[in-house]
Amino acid sequence: MLTKEDFFCDFENKWCPGCGNFQILDAMKEAFAEMDLSPEKLLIVSGIGQAGKTPHFFKCNFFHGLHGRALPVATGAKIANHDLTVVVSSGDGDCYGEGGNHFISAIRRNIDITLLVHNNKVYGLTKGQASPTSDIGFQTKMQPHGVIAESFHPLTAALAFGAGFVARGFSGNKAHLNQLIQKAIAHKGFSMVDIMQPCVSFNSVNTHAWYKKRAYDLADKNHDTTDIDAATALSRKWGDEIPIGILYQKESSSYTDRIDHLDQGPLIGFTYEKERVQQQIDNG
Amino acid sequence: MSVDITVTIGGAAGQGIQTVGDLLAQVCQKAGLYVMAINDFESRIRGGHSFVQIRISDHEIFSPRYEIALLVALDRQTVLLHQNKIPDGGIILSGESFDDAQKPITAVEFDKLAEEAGGKITANTVAAGSCLALLGAPFEFLKDILAARFGAKDSSVLEKNIKAAELGYQAVAETEFKWAFAWEKGPEKGLLMNGTKAIALGALAADCRFASFYPMSPATGVIRNLTEMTEHIPFVVEQAEDEIAAVNMIIGASFAGVRSMTATSGGGFCLMTEGLGLAGIAEIPIVIVNAQRPGPATGLPTRTAQGDLLFVINASQDEFPRFVFAPRSVSEAFTDTIRAFELSEKYQVPAIILTDQFLNDSVFLTTEQFTAPSSVPRFIAADADLDDPENYHRFAVTESGVSPRALPCRGKAIVKSSGNEHLEDGHISEDKDNRTRMVNKRNAKLEAMTGEMNGPEEYFEDAEILLIGWGSSAGAIKEAVDLLRDKDIDAGCLTFSDMWPFPAEKALAAADNAKKCVTVELNSTAQFKRLLRQQTGIHCAGSILKYDGRPLFPQDIIEEIDRFL
Ligand SMILES: Cc1ncc(C[n+]2csc(CCOP(=O)(O)OP(=O)(O)O)c2C)c(N)n1
Ligand code: SF4
Repeated sequence: MLTKEDFFCDFENKWCPGCGNFQILDAMKEAFAEMDLSPEKLLIVSGIGQAGKTPHFFKCNFFHGLHGRALPVATGAKIANHDLTVVVSSGDGDCYGEGGNHFISAIRRNIDITLLVHNNKVYGLTKGQASPTSDIGFQTKMQPHGVIAESFHPLTAALAFGAGFVARGFSGNKAHLNQLIQKAIAHKGFSMVDIMQPCVSFNSVNTHAWYKKRAYDLADKNHDTTDIDAATALSRKWGDEIPIGILYQKESSSYTDRIDHLDQGPLIGFTYEKERVQQQIDNG
Repeated sequence: MSVDITVTIGGAAGQGIQTVGDLLAQVCQKAGLYVMAINDFESRIRGGHSFVQIRISDHEIFSPRYEIALLVALDRQTVLLHQNKIPDGGIILSGESFDDAQKPITAVEFDKLAEEAGGKITANTVAAGSCLALLGAPFEFLKDILAARFGAKDSSVLEKNIKAAELGYQAVAETEFKWAFAWEKGPEKGLLMNGTKAIALGALAADCRFASFYPMSPATGVIRNLTEMTEHIPFVVEQAEDEIAAVNMIIGASFAGVRSMTATSGGGFCLMTEGLGLAGIAEIPIVIVNAQRPGPATGLPTRTAQGDLLFVINASQDEFPRFVFAPRSVSEAFTDTIRAFELSEKYQVPAIILTDQFLNDSVFLTTEQFTAPSSVPRFIAADADLDDPENYHRFAVTESGVSPRALPCRGKAIVKSSGNEHLEDGHISEDKDNRTRMVNKRNAKLEAMTGEMNGPEEYFEDAEILLIGWGSSAGAIKEAVDLLRDKDIDAGCLTFSDMWPFPAEKALAAADNAKKCVTVELNSTAQFKRLLRQQTGIHCAGSILKYDGRPLFPQDIIEEIDRFL
């Protein structure tokens, strides 16, 4: 039986004390341990930002790539070896801003990876500019009169694009988040958990206490996770009450299931066959 | 008798001139002749003007010629645009006659004869029939090709096409053609090949298994060929949401252990540059085909150029080693692709194959054997190859700069990779000494990489005037040398295919006795001349530059050579 200590990495953590990312990190480790996903079997792919640093604080395989581009890297890795368990750690700017196009396409492909978005509604690493999920009116040094664009609703968008597993977590409810992550990984096909994460340095509006007061667990509300209309309505709820948990789940064949030959095994398992290639050449 | 004639078939996009060109090329191949055909088309699906120009010869040829012996005009525009290239004795073959034609027109009512054969759609076959009849080719040759082409479909299709071809033949039975020649059957001299197909075959021969792309002329053909060829081979082709995704996907797939590639043109390559740098710093082998077209921005989508050389050598911020290959011919497109995959993996660096519309879309009869290698060496470390897999460091500093490359989730070794500057173990580091060490580690590969690079091909390299070129214009340059030497001008040439790391020593050795060097390039600022000077100190007297989007013809060089005599 694995424990979260099996993922311990002595690399110095670079987050601000009190950052919501610490609980997310813990919840991830606990979830992986409870699923018996050992460090050798796990691949975390991340982009750039505070969230993007997550895999460095882990013992496991990781690829820490470019700002906004974690999803295509993860997609390529999964296509190459669909036996891998691939988890993506991304930020709201990383995933919904710089990488927005990839977010849409990863959902459409239904590639069997799990996307965890550390959503602090602000750009942390670049010191506090607005992000796509910042609420309208949110003031920053760059947006001194408040954000003038409407905020992006990731869960509504994910549902509209056809995602098969759409959930919201909260860093302040670690046990709940752990369960969500496990369910997301177990889900066959693309799964996403948008995680409300306070940024103690640059977001003084959406604080831990602010979320704590508003978050309520959908599991207590008899929500039918197969009802897309109900899920869509919930995904738009923001303000005094914010639902957390699985909004919607529906399994269908994933990207690699739909590709010929891959039922025989992962792409990486096929070896070069000279005769076949020569035949192709000779066929003209 | 020596055969060397050019047939141009022109018309509007959508009229199927390509089919006529294909049929002619196939018949020539069967007859043991050599051909090369350029495809000149506009960025549109219907209308406009496009043409196929096919040169037929009894010796191997690598470049097109200006003079047209036979012009097949499916519309008036073709006559007006091309008749000035027809010498005396040449023929225009057309469905109608035009008042403003300045050369004699042999009228063959393609459409009417096609309808007689069973459908207007066979008009191309009528045209091919007339063409071959004028050239003196036996009807049987075309009949065999038609049978191979349409035999699999229902028999009425084949019958209609044979009938159409026959009517085309008969229509010109009485017409004399100055350049008709005696045809013999075979033996076939080689394969009909274009650049896109050669690259796709090279990728398969290198055991590439994944291609991700975003459509862009003139690169898309590479992926189309791969898609067609891998119907029964385990291979994944993914149309990405954009070029940024395409390059990042192949980085992910290669990281996980599968050889992967993408193909694009300048604009798409621009979008890939940050990913290229990621492959550089994370030491991920990837292969990117950049098929050049004139730019900047959208430029001329369906035309050719050599304007991206310095860009691809320098693309992405800061510095990291990479390979750049610019194949000179279709056979080299095949072998360079195999080399690109192998060397990219051996040194854990990105490799770029720099082609262009001319090489990608032109058809060449090549005598080179395309041989799949008996095995594909992989440069991957399993646990058993590592001293201490549990303490594996992906970026371990070695003298060669190359660290043992383990794959994620394939054993005990845990693979940590980062596009941020990192320690040997893959974790981020901002330490100044580490930074210097890591830059040095990556750059350490350059020496051995340079050793892998071939020097230029030499042809009369001791001549008074040494033409120097690179990539796909090599064929025209070499032929220009022959034509100049026929005129008693002492010309020779050096042509390069291995562009980066630049094989400076080999270049210097080859240009040892050079008296006057002149680069020949399809860009406006003599990029190769500058590169050569920078890397070797070789001074060129000047350059012959062409940047109208059209391929290089030997005549382009001959017309300008006086400047250097
Ligand atoms: C191409 C590119 N553009 C911009 C940046 C600078 N940058 C780094 S992180 C970041 C935003 C991070 O915000 P978010 O994704 O919300 O992550 P957080 O730091 O808040 O976790 C930006 C703009 C970059 N690294 N690369
Ligand atoms: S800036 Fe915000 S998100 Fe980043 S580590 Fe600090 S608290 Fe966390």
